[in-house]
Amino acid sequence: MYRTLSLKVGNWLAAAGRTGHFLTDTARSVRDVPTWAGLTVAQMRRIGVDSVPIALFIAIFTGIVLSLQASYTFTGAVPLYFVGTLVGKTVMLELGPVLTGLALAGRVGANIAAELGTMRVTEQIDALETLAYDPLSYLVVPRVLAAAIMFPIVVSLAILVGIISGWLTAISLLDLSTVEFVRGLKLFYQFKDIWFGLVKSFSFGVVIALIGCFKGLSVRGGAAGVGRATTEAVVASAMAILVLDAFWAVVLL
Amino acid sequence: MRRRDDILVGATVLAALVAIVGGALWLSESQLGKGGEVYVARFRTVGGLGVGDPVVLRGVRVGRVRAIRLAPRNWVEAELQIYEGVSLPPKPAIIAASASLFGEWQAGIINLEQPVDDPIVQRDLEEAMREGGDRWPGATLPDIGQLTAQAGRIATDIASVSSRIQTVFDSQAVLELQEAIRDFGRVSERLTQFTQQQTEILGEVGVNLRQGSDVLADAARSLSNSLARVDSATNQGQLLTILNHTQAAAENMARAAADFRALLSAARENQASLLRIIEGADSVATRLRDRSGTLGLLVGDSMLYVETRLAVAELRRLLADIQANPRKYFKFSVF
Repeated sequence: MYRTLSLKVGNWLAAAGRTGHFLTDTARSVRDVPTWAGLTVAQMRRIGVDSVPIALFIAIFTGIVLSLQASYTFTGAVPLYFVGTLVGKTVMLELGPVLTGLALAGRVGANIAAELGTMRVTEQIDALETLAYDPLSYLVVPRVLAAAIMFPIVVSLAILVGIISGWLTAISLLDLSTVEFVRGLKLFYQFKDIWFGLVKSFSFGVVIALIGCFKGLSVRGGAAGVGRATTEAVVASAMAILVLDAFWAVVLL
Repeated sequence: MRRRDDILVGATVLAALVAIVGGALWLSESQLGKGGEVYVARFRTVGGLGVGDPVVLRGVRVGRVRAIRLAPRNWVEAELQIYEGVSLPPKPAIIAASASLFGEWQAGIINLEQPVDDPIVQRDLEEAMREGGDRWPGATLPDIGQLTAQAGRIATDIASVSSRIQTVFDSQAVLELQEAIRDFGRVSERLTQFTQQQTEILGEVGVNLRQGSDVLADAARSLSNSLARVDSATNQGQLLTILNHTQAAAENMARAAADFRALLSAARENQASLLRIIEGADSVATRLRDRSGTLGLLVGDSMLYVETRLAVAELRRLLADIQANPRKYFKFSVF
């Protein structure tokens, strides 16, 4: 048992060391601007722009459900215009960044892990190294930068669409006017509500891209390894999003 | 492909920036392009007032709280941005208070020239004014949490008092209280009867008083009429005549009194004669009682009385005959 435990602890420490090496090398690769500069916009389109439809789809239904559930909860002493408050606060602070982050963890994280894993098993990354290309500068940094930039953008649009869908639901399905919804929306608004969500989504983007790249570059064993790495990337990204969500709530709120 | 990527990414980023910046400005109700003046209000505490909360004048939003900071001498200063074109009262002051039951706060501008109902607010404002400077005086009303806490303490006190009352009122006390209530009921009943009797008496007195007042009113009317007549008489000189007549009558009465006095004097002078007359009368009466003298004999002797009456009758017949036939007894001859 002691042997098993020491073996597992050794594996955890080795994984932490590899992660540390990976992060250090990636940070060092940021200096290789000529390599990643031309690739970042393409990654921004793949990671960000192509993710907008799924993010907005999630946001639309998030706003609808929030508005309906808020009206159900507020039946009684609480005035109905607090539906606007709940929809705005919840979408801006929590559901907008987190649900979008989880959706993009599946889409982006899995995409990155599968792509880089396939490149690894097909020895394309070895070929890059042979051609004196730094795979981190060429593959990782553009993706991480693109995710860091585009996640807040996508989340911003998701927040906007989520609030709009909540408003449309309130005025069409609930006994609530636009003036009342806007009054509730502005009631406890602080500028912090917006940048808090953007900061979170920025961190989500960085972490999802890093996990996807790390898992993809760490693939061993062919197609099965790629599948395993993809699954691990999605699971790890989702867990990281929830941990970071709690972390930022403790630190910033 | 690369150009298309650039366009798509640029459009997405721009759309997101517009959404974020525009939404943030709209939600915070920022007045871009509207400068406005910044004033500072001084409070002992700002309560739940926060940066961004509205500043209202007579219920209308006219600005926002721009900053809140601690100040020397245990003061708190709040910077208030008032929009352009807002006409402020001549002596403004700030009241920080809850805007609703759900934690919203606002800074209300009031006019210090108008009286403040709350004495605590008045005290806080005066204290802030005594500090001087160009700061507006400010006061804070308790929020709903403090009020509910106070209500909770009151409820606890009431519960404590109720518990003590429950302890004091045992079964014996309740019986005594019931007996006292019954006694009180009897006293009340008697008091009611007494009051009813007194009411009836007072009613009668009232009727009498009303009758008396009617009589007095009649007398007053008569007096008024008399006075009116006197007045009219005065006007026509009749009163003067009456007075003159009265004066003449008084003079006559004075003269009569003088005559009466003279008569009395004469009577006193004739008193001796009167006494003699009385003595004579007494002598006559004595002789009458004793049946002596002419009258005595006349009174005492019935025969004499009868003869006297007959003589008188004869005399009356004689006189009648003389009156009827004077020529039978008297003869007058001139020639």
